[in-house]
Amino acid sequence: MANNALNISIHNVTKTYGDFYALRDVSLDVTSGEFLTLLGPSGSGKTTLLMVLAGFINPDYGSVKFGDEEVVLKPPHLRGIGMVFQNYALFPHMNVEQNVGYPQKLRGVSKENTKISVEEALATVKLDGLGHRQVDELSGGQRQRVALARAIVFKPKILLMDEPLSALDKKLREEMQIELRQLHDRLNITTVYVTHDQKEALTMSDRIAVINDGQLKQLDTPNQIYRSPSNAFIADFIGESSLLSATVKNGIASLGSSKLKGNQKLSKDGDFLLVIRPEKLFIASKKARDANHFEGVVEDSIFQGESQLMVIKLDPKTYGEQSLRMRLPNSSSTLSELPGIGDRVTLGLKIVDSYFVEKSHGGS
Amino acid sequence: MAVLEHNINEVSLSRLEKRENYTFFGLTVPYLVLVGAMIVIPIGWLFFLSFIGRDGSFSFENYERMINSKAYLRIFLTTFKISLLTTFFCILLGYPLAYFMSQISRKWASLCMIGVLIPFWTSLLVRTYAWLVLLQKKGLINNIAIDLGIITEPIKFVHNTSGTLIGMVHIMLPFLILPLYANMRAIDSHCVKAASSLGATPVRAFWTVFFPLSIPGLLAGSLIVFVLCLGFYVTPAVLGGGRVIMAAMKISSNIELYFSWGAASALGVVLLVVTMIILFIASKLVSLDQLGQRR
Amino acid sequence: MKPFLIYRKFAFVAATLGVASLSTASLAEDTLRIVSWGGAYQKGQSVGIFQPAAKAMGITVKEDTYGGISDVKLMVKSGADKFDIFSSGAGGCASGGKEGVLEKLDYSVIDVSNHLPGMYSDYCAGADIFSVVAAWNTDTYGDNGPRTWADFYDVKKFPGTRAMRNKVDAQLETALLADGVPKEDIYKVLDSEEGIKRALDKIRTIKPHIAVWWTSGASHAQLMKDGEVDMTTGWNGRFDVAKQDGAKVAYDWKTGIMDWEGYGIPKGAKQKDLAMKYIAEMMKPNYMAEFAKYITYGPTNKKVYELGLMEDSRARQMPSHPDNAKHQMTLKTEWYAKWRTIAAEMYTEMMTE
Repeated sequence: MANNALNISIHNVTKTYGDFYALRDVSLDVTSGEFLTLLGPSGSGKTTLLMVLAGFINPDYGSVKFGDEEVVLKPPHLRGIGMVFQNYALFPHMNVEQNVGYPQKLRGVSKENTKISVEEALATVKLDGLGHRQVDELSGGQRQRVALARAIVFKPKILLMDEPLSALDKKLREEMQIELRQLHDRLNITTVYVTHDQKEALTMSDRIAVINDGQLKQLDTPNQIYRSPSNAFIADFIGESSLLSATVKNGIASLGSSKLKGNQKLSKDGDFLLVIRPEKLFIASKKARDANHFEGVVEDSIFQGESQLMVIKLDPKTYGEQSLRMRLPNSSSTLSELPGIGDRVTLGLKIVDSYFVEKSHGGS
Repeated sequence: MAVLEHNINEVSLSRLEKRENYTFFGLTVPYLVLVGAMIVIPIGWLFFLSFIGRDGSFSFENYERMINSKAYLRIFLTTFKISLLTTFFCILLGYPLAYFMSQISRKWASLCMIGVLIPFWTSLLVRTYAWLVLLQKKGLINNIAIDLGIITEPIKFVHNTSGTLIGMVHIMLPFLILPLYANMRAIDSHCVKAASSLGATPVRAFWTVFFPLSIPGLLAGSLIVFVLCLGFYVTPAVLGGGRVIMAAMKISSNIELYFSWGAASALGVVLLVVTMIILFIASKLVSLDQLGQRR
Repeated sequence: MKPFLIYRKFAFVAATLGVASLSTASLAEDTLRIVSWGGAYQKGQSVGIFQPAAKAMGITVKEDTYGGISDVKLMVKSGADKFDIFSSGAGGCASGGKEGVLEKLDYSVIDVSNHLPGMYSDYCAGADIFSVVAAWNTDTYGDNGPRTWADFYDVKKFPGTRAMRNKVDAQLETALLADGVPKEDIYKVLDSEEGIKRALDKIRTIKPHIAVWWTSGASHAQLMKDGEVDMTTGWNGRFDVAKQDGAKVAYDWKTGIMDWEGYGIPKGAKQKDLAMKYIAEMMKPNYMAEFAKYITYGPTNKKVYELGLMEDSRARQMPSHPDNAKHQMTLKTEWYAKWRTIAAEMYTEMMTE
């Protein structure tokens, strides 16, 4: 397929409902062919932003451009976007073929060409031969595929998806995540994807835009967002993390009475949080120079299949009342060495994995 | 061994299931008897009576009379014409109203619904006479229109078909709106959004998506209105001015005229049978139409 | 929805109480139940006859309205018990008597020795005389309205809308009178389907001008009051009452078709003997004179005139006053007993054309 994807530029988009800001001055660029995820908790404004892109919501002010064209005042049916809704929104009075062919019929495409494009779209979503099925004869996953086929059959340059996988069970959802991502790569459509599932966002996206309280909090690659969340909210929202309260004075961070080394320059004094990903912690037999160390007692140890989750209560004298979560992979070598509940342990965290965020930011 | 056990389980399970089915069927028997007694016996009695002549013996005279006098055919035609027209105008007025109500917030929709239902709290007779007062030659509407110089001669609104229709549409409108509104509320609003995102203009999205999905409610409401209209008495009697004679009115006047149930029962039987035929045809049409969404 | 439910509950309770009170009342020995036509007519009966007569006998009389002789027939045939006496036209009683649903009246108890000739029958004790007349709107025609039936049927001379009854009673006669048949020959002509057809054809000539087919005395009085039609057939007393209420209405006795109304007893009435005595009481001239004050339906008892119970000016308004009666024809009950159903079906056919 030719590279005909469009980039999207969102500038200063604001939408209010009375006193409530659904979107507050959001600016965001989606490059052509990119898979961008709008991630946020419910009520954060992510769906509102998607609806602004689709044209169902008119912002109070701001600009939305598809390529070079300003579309903010264009009604939805003239925007030429493909859209997949949360509950699929298939037309129950049409069969699969008619559903998928609907956009083509609207565009006055001839019957033969419609048939060809419908078959192509159904093949793309691996539903070949199911064209004559009624919608209510399909499983949830199949309906999802029909909705997708319908959204791509007319080869739109932009594809919007509003939590399309939320109604599927976990296993199917994870399969579909990968499939959708592959489909995107094949079709090369600029895709804006809305989800509240951070794992889904990490799995699928080129970039993630984290949205909360109607504002864009961070826009970055999944890796960057995971490694360097820009504030405490994101640190907490994305991935598992333990946040330890720390104070910074003269560029030096300390946790209770112990000093901490970090991977970044701390030019500001004040209250910070040390973001600790559970899988980055390890049991330190001896103290090393390239790591921070924490002393504590194992409070809980939970078997979770592929990994063991441990909750470690840190020494209150040194650290105050704080605890850490540590995840150890369940390989045969680690199993025998696992400390039991009540054991004293020393935990290590590499300095490269030690990342601070300001406490006042966003808050959680 | 495991396979065998599994089979035994299945057999006893299905036996239990059967027994449960019988138990539930047994529980519904008194209800079935009641329904049978309340529907089958009176209708059977109606059929029986329609074959009783004036002298009390078995006879076809009540049906012969209907064939011999042109009045009966005309009355049935009037009955169906008025019922169809009432249904038509109810759709014309009720569909946009139900659509409007389905698009606004539930709070405002409930307020509208109260407005729709308030006429139900007034007696049918009162509403019918109210229309007479409003619409007659020297009634409120004609007087105002003449005073404003819109018309010079009063318009004949009542004592004719139009008066009957106005009164009946007013009374029947809620019966159309209630099922239609419920149906429209149940339509997934995302479907219409999906249509417009896929390139349908609002008008196109309405006709290709919303309207087809509202057809079951529309048909249900229309059938209720139509069937209720067939038996209407008071409104055509008062607002029709004797020019609109419907089956129910002839049933009543036949009781007066022949002093026997038979003459009236035969009319009732014919009306019932014709209505059943219409319902049967309608049910075929509906199920054909709904094939797309049911099953 | 809740207020509605409460309302229904209330209505149900009220209805139950109502039924209960009615049924206990009906058990009382000295209570009679009488039904009539409602409206101005029954109001006059109630104030002038029913209640004073009940008081004089020391009994209680409960009143209700009903829909005519068919109600009596259905009641008797279904074995129900709703009333002991009904007020009915002579024709209605005659057909009820023929069907065997009425008690024969005992004229040793009921004194009709002073009745005008023919104003009582086996099943009906005549109480008042009324006329079917052609009434016109004086706003439209002034004093020169349709004073004969020929005028009523002449749409060139008297353009305007008309109303006739939605039942055949006393309507065919008007057509034949308009067609030039002499009063005394009307029922001879009507004594065949051809004759009936002749009358119906005459009505057909003015059918486009008939705006309303009226259903009841109340409805034709209202039609004239509201100016809904310019002329109508109808009962003289209703028009007089409407005129008192300010309606612009007049009629001429030359169009009058006299008929009479009386009381009958349904077969098997619980209070048959008391009903008989009560009818005897109601036949007394003083009640008839009192009733005639409320509506211009003349007494059947000659004594009213002989004893001078009515003022002369009032007496002259009665259909049965000799000066008025001489212009009029009298409705023949026997013809209706013979031809009613056939004529009625043909009439309906004409209406639905």
